[in-house]
Amino acid sequence: MTRWFEDIVIDEVFPLGSHTFGADEIVRFATLYDPQYFHLDAVAAQHSQFGGLVASGWHTVSVGHRKMVDALFAEEERLLAEGRQPGVSGPSPGVNSMVFKVPVRPGDTVSYELVVTDKRASNSIPGWGLLFNRLTATNQHGELVYRAELVGFSKLRDYSMPLKLRLLLALTKLPLIGPLLKRGS
Amino acid sequence: MTNPVTKDRRHFEDLTVGEVADLGHITVSKEMIITFAREFDPFPFHLDEAAAKASLLGGLASSGWQTGALSLRMLVDAFLSKVASAGGLGFSDLKWKNPVMVGDTIGGTVTVAELRRSASHPQWGIMTLDFDVRNQKDQPVLTMRLANLIDTREPGVPA
Repeated sequence: MTRWFEDIVIDEVFPLGSHTFGADEIVRFATLYDPQYFHLDAVAAQHSQFGGLVASGWHTVSVGHRKMVDALFAEEERLLAEGRQPGVSGPSPGVNSMVFKVPVRPGDTVSYELVVTDKRASNSIPGWGLLFNRLTATNQHGELVYRAELVGFSKLRDYSMPLKLRLLLALTKLPLIGPLLKRGS
Repeated sequence: MTNPVTKDRRHFEDLTVGEVADLGHITVSKEMIITFAREFDPFPFHLDEAAAKASLLGGLASSGWQTGALSLRMLVDAFLSKVASAGGLGFSDLKWKNPVMVGDTIGGTVTVAELRRSASHPQWGIMTLDFDVRNQKDQPVLTMRLANLIDTREPGVPA
């Protein structure tokens, strides 16, 4: 979340809110990104294992991402209102696993929840940490829609660059040495 | 019971491990990036060119989820619409390798990595696909392993 890496508590649960999926948006998403008959055509979908129209898994996941972004913005505003400096969340390198369980049908309401299951300092990017996030989506019957294990970057508050790195960075700013160093790396 | 929608498509028994499908291409426009970002990923660096230039990405780039969704679109057009797909099970090891910038053309391949019959549902087989999506400079953009159910012609007969 929008906290400094050091302030993130393992296993703290963040409810992200819910979304009700309409038939129109299910078809609209599928038309652009996942045009399989059971995501597009309610009549043809009756022949599928689902027995009717269902949302693309990628659609329910994209909505889950939107819910997470909204929660990040909301927490940033809350921290600023309290006169605190929010942390910085960075890009995501990827997704370890995504498991689709129960399909989403028109009219279903899906609730999303995020838990940080683990964190560690990044080996590749100094000054940043890695967060291991579990996002779960549950429908109005309490059935699991999907479970995702996501990885995200978060900035360290208490980080000072080692002297060696600071010197190297200063060297790259010199007009002649900079390009040479860059070519070498 | 035969599914009239998919009866003429390739079934589980018709697929081979190691088979490669060409995904074709999609060119990603500024409008596509902003439309997706507004609905699903409204960070300033996916919405606004000036904010994007100042960010780590260095310019307007698509949401990683959009890159994935476009990869899926290419998969459906090139491959999944020609097999008796019964739905996706999920994916693993998704990696965003390089951002997709305005005007980039992405394409690539999928390889059938694994085929096995479902132990609990004899009417299905499970196909795993490895994605290798690249941009016009042949730089890797996205890799992932997707698992999808495919109808069998003859339920329960070992492959």
